[in-house]
This record gives sequence, C-alpha cells and structure tokens, in this order.
Amino acid sequence: MTTQTKRVEVPQGWEAFAWKWMRYSGVLIFILAWIHVLIQDILVGVYQIDTSYVAARWNGGFWRVYDFLLLFFAFSHGMNGTRQVLADYIHSEGGRRALNWILLILWAIVVVVGTITIFAFTPPAG
Amino acid sequence: MSFKTASEGYVRYQGLGNWAFVLHRLTGLGVILFLIIHVLDTAAVYFIPSLYVDAVALYRSPVFGLGEILLVLSIIYHGLNGLRVIYFDMINPDMWTIEINRKSVIWTWVITLVLWLPAAVVMGSHILEHLGG
Repeated sequence: MTTQTKRVEVPQGWEAFAWKWMRYSGVLIFILAWIHVLIQDILVGVYQIDTSYVAARWNGGFWRVYDFLLLFFAFSHGMNGTRQVLADYIHSEGGRRALNWILLILWAIVVVVGTITIFAFTPPAG
Repeated sequence: MSFKTASEGYVRYQGLGNWAFVLHRLTGLGVILFLIIHVLDTAAVYFIPSLYVDAVALYRSPVFGLGEILLVLSIIYHGLNGLRVIYFDMINPDMWTIEINRKSVIWTWVITLVLWLPAAVVMGSHILEHLGG
C-alpha cells in the first residue's frame, strides 16, 4: 500500500504556537516527569513520603526549582492539551471562548497555589 | 455534535495510529486530572499540614496503589508516544506513512510494557508489604 503525503502551509498564530508548545514542552517534561516518577513513585514510594520527607527534599534550592519547572511545564502542557481535546467537541465560538477562560483561570490558580507551596514551605518546628 | 458521534467517528477510522491517538488523549486527560489533585494535596503540606497527613494516608490505601500503577503506565505510554509524534512532526515528517506509523506504534507499546512491568512489580510489592497496616 502506498500513501501520498503533502506538505501544507499552516497559518502562524496562537494555535500554531500552541501546537509547537506541546512538542517543545513535551521533550522537557519527558525528562522532568520521568525522573520525578522514578524517584517518588518507584524508588522511594508513597509509604516513605511524609512531611519530614518533604522537608528534607525541599531543604535546598535544587529540588524546589526542579519541582517548580515540572509544575509549570507539565501543568501548562496538560491544560493546553485538555483545551485542545475539549475544543474538538465544542463547536461554537462562544463555547470555545468560555472554555479557554475557564481553563486559563484553573491553570492560574493551580500554578500559583503550587508555586507558593514549593517556595514558601518551611519545615514545621520540632 | 455529541460526544457519542465524535467517539464513533474515532472508532470507525480504525488503524493502530488512530488508537495511539485516542490513547494519547485518554492517558493525557487521566494524568492531568491526577496532576490537579496532586498539586492541591501537596499544597496542603504548606497551607493545611494536618490535611497533608490524611492525604498521604489515602494514597497509601491499596486502591490508590493500584491507581498509581496505572498512572505510571499512562505516563510511560504518553511520554514515549509523545516522543514518537514529536520526532515525526518536527524532525522527519516523511515518516507519517501508514506502514511506518503502524510499526512505530507497536514498538512504542513494546517499550512501554518493558519499562512498565518492572515498575509495576516494584510498586505492587510495596503495596503487598504494607497490606493490613
């Protein structure tokens, strides 16, 4: 079976930017998320994770910055992906605009809450 | 258009490449749903420390443990299939043929399972060790 492929010109705009964003951020998240999962879910495991584990992990700056990058890129990638999936089922201009706003607000809330947690956390006394 | 007609459309356009696309979306949606919950439960460690202890206790239950094993499967598949799509789209678009697509989807699943099975064994043994307290 032979297939014919054809190159097409894609208009450059926000959607083209979002399409590229998914690919560039995907490479970065592939590294950040897999290391995170390997350490936290497989090697350490949830049975060893508690408040003092978090305190030890966020004792220095490295893992705080790492976790912030993972939060920002993975969550932005996931929210945009959700937007792209749902936009396939919402066909009205107004519906898509509402979708974009709802997801943007949700994105902002979760990123802000997560970022505050990562950088403001201090180990409990004692 | 309802979800029903849209999903029927996906199923009718068969082929492994399309299943890879559908699974990429489903695993992505599953992971982002977990990620929202995960950021909020971790936020408890700063905002409501006593709630963080409860959240971790919930994650240690066997049902959540099994969910975690499926989460890891979703992350491995979504990551590998994502790299496959990125390579095709950004570096070598000539590989977007039915035959190469089909073979690469099979390889994606082979590698996914090879990586996931040992992870599932380790995580599963952690669950078994902690059964009943």
